[in-house]
Amino acid sequence: MDKTGDIKKIKVNEKSELFNKTGMFYKEFPSDYRQIRYFTLLVVQMAPPEIKEINLLEQQVSELIKNAVKHGNKNNLDKKVKVWYKFETDYAHLIVEDEGEGFKNLDEWNTFNGKRTQCFLKQDFENMAQYVSFRTENSDDNDGGNALFAAVEYWNAGVVFTNKKNCIAVKKKFPRKRHGIKIA
Amino acid sequence: MELKIRKSGSIYIIDVNGEMDLYNSYKLKELILKMMEKKIQHYIINLEKVDYIDSSGIGALIYICSSIKKNNMKLRIANIHGSVKKVIELTKLMGYFPISNSIEEAISKIEIE
Repeated sequence: MDKTGDIKKIKVNEKSELFNKTGMFYKEFPSDYRQIRYFTLLVVQMAPPEIKEINLLEQQVSELIKNAVKHGNKNNLDKKVKVWYKFETDYAHLIVEDEGEGFKNLDEWNTFNGKRTQCFLKQDFENMAQYVSFRTENSDDNDGGNALFAAVEYWNAGVVFTNKKNCIAVKKKFPRKRHGIKIA
Repeated sequence: MELKIRKSGSIYIIDVNGEMDLYNSYKLKELILKMMEKKIQHYIINLEKVDYIDSSGIGALIYICSSIKKNNMKLRIANIHGSVKKVIELTKLMGYFPISNSIEEAISKIEIE
């Protein structure tokens, strides 16, 4: 992810440190749309409670798995979603890979998100209405078209794709909680 | 997700109870579209009992919001809290959605506008 001013971009960088799977846990799932939230819970249950932020971590992980199941693998039960994950009290790190053709519209998405962010920075909500939902020829009525907008904000240590763009790595750092006795 | 409708004068309040996720969010969209067909003008969506929303839920709210705006009807979204508020903030939609802190505030906003 590149931060130019306040406009964040999702980058393609297969050599990013975020794709280093050393020490990460691994699960794989069939592309079963009905079970996306269940698969998410299987992953997120490993996270320490202090980084779950009620259910925000679950929601963000669910979006990544949903994108892989629905947009990547087109709900094809024969295709798998692979998830590598590691949670500590100060970070959450995930890699999600599908067997699809990759996110072909990434450049278009970055441009769209740039325009959207510019409207937001100017607090121009009239024009922002054009950029609230990113649609492609494959979008359907149940697609919000806004998951990645939240993802680039939530995953504050990076969002990056592989060259084929069918594998995304994300990381969020949480502030370390200080434990100790306050001396007056 | 459970949806209940109640009235305050000419304003219809839709109480949403449960999770607005990829499996449920279409229900709210369908309900409001049916109400719009009946030419109901004023809506409040009460999210007090919603503790989880995902991109499909946000998408449903965007769709409802833009449809109501196009038809010159009025909408307020009330009582967002917790991770629902956080997701709306992450998507930078706090200023786009017509948000009120309470039902009372939403009613007075609709009456003033």
